[in-house]
Amino acid sequence: MGLIFIRTIIIFVALFIVMRLMGKRQIGEMQPYELVITLIISELACIPMEDTSIPLLYGIISILTVYLLHQIVCLVDLNFTGAKTVLSGSPSIVLNKNGIDDTQLKKNNLDVSDLIESLRSEGYFSLDAVEYALYEAEGNFSALPKKDYQNLQSSLPILLIDEGKFDKKNIELTQKTENYFLDVLKNHGCKDIKQVLVMTVDGDGKVYFQKKGSKFEVFHLQWQETLW
Amino acid sequence: MIRTIISIVVALGLILGLTFYELNYVQTTFDQLHKALEALYEKSESATASYEDGVAVQAIWEDKREHLHVWMPHTVLQEIDYQLNETLGFLYLQDYANALPKVSLLLGITESVPISYDFRLGNVF
Repeated sequence: MGLIFIRTIIIFVALFIVMRLMGKRQIGEMQPYELVITLIISELACIPMEDTSIPLLYGIISILTVYLLHQIVCLVDLNFTGAKTVLSGSPSIVLNKNGIDDTQLKKNNLDVSDLIESLRSEGYFSLDAVEYALYEAEGNFSALPKKDYQNLQSSLPILLIDEGKFDKKNIELTQKTENYFLDVLKNHGCKDIKQVLVMTVDGDGKVYFQKKGSKFEVFHLQWQETLW
Repeated sequence: MIRTIISIVVALGLILGLTFYELNYVQTTFDQLHKALEALYEKSESATASYEDGVAVQAIWEDKREHLHVWMPHTVLQEIDYQLNETLGFLYLQDYANALPKVSLLLGITESVPISYDFRLGNVF
């Protein structure tokens, strides 16, 4: 029983570290330790129930150990500010006044398209419509829109360049060629597509463009007509 | 916060209490069985062990086994049951040459089982 107690603690700590390292993408709406408990407890309850050769007490001790660890984590989480960051993580500001923060995205195992998806689910279709966007510690997404954000998203923007790579399907939608957009990039001081973090364009020709490590730019392409 | 601390203390107390009770109970029970088996081994070695001696050891075991089910995996108990029954069969036939290795095996089991409950690195992993 003592061994089960120690083994449960080891599994809990190992799973907890892995969950923290996986970042917000894996968490959903739970704190990392809550997810770990959910993962462990379902198995713990099942094994002694299923296998009659294992004493039921083994399962009870494991569950009691998980409960004990949960209470300890809660206590530390609520009473020690420094420990809270380590245990539950802290919010990651992935989009600020300078544009997308690539480092924060990478830290949470996310990419630009994940960010765009999260923004869309919050009702913000254009990257420049948002002042700040962040992933909360428990994985929820929050965004602070600009005052006139509704005027900034008149048409659906599509992703043309995602971290140095063209999205060929979306390029076709624009009825332009990759070379056309390479020229656009050159005109805005970007000689290599690999330097581009993100480039989107909407049906009116409004481009959101950001080089890696630079502030974003918004400009308009002179298109004859609205494409979508 | 006080409620949380109380719940931690209660849960920890329960776990530690059960752990030390289990360690002590398993150790004591297997010590008693080991002593009975040692006596049976000596008698078998001198070819004086009877079937009744074996039955006496089995009675001690059966008395303990029921409670051990609460604390131990049942497969371990089944193994002891099996080996003890085999020993009884050999003792009934007064086949000491075959009974001795069986009792020796049971002595080994009664020594190793409590060790497997110790807080050792090998046991944890």
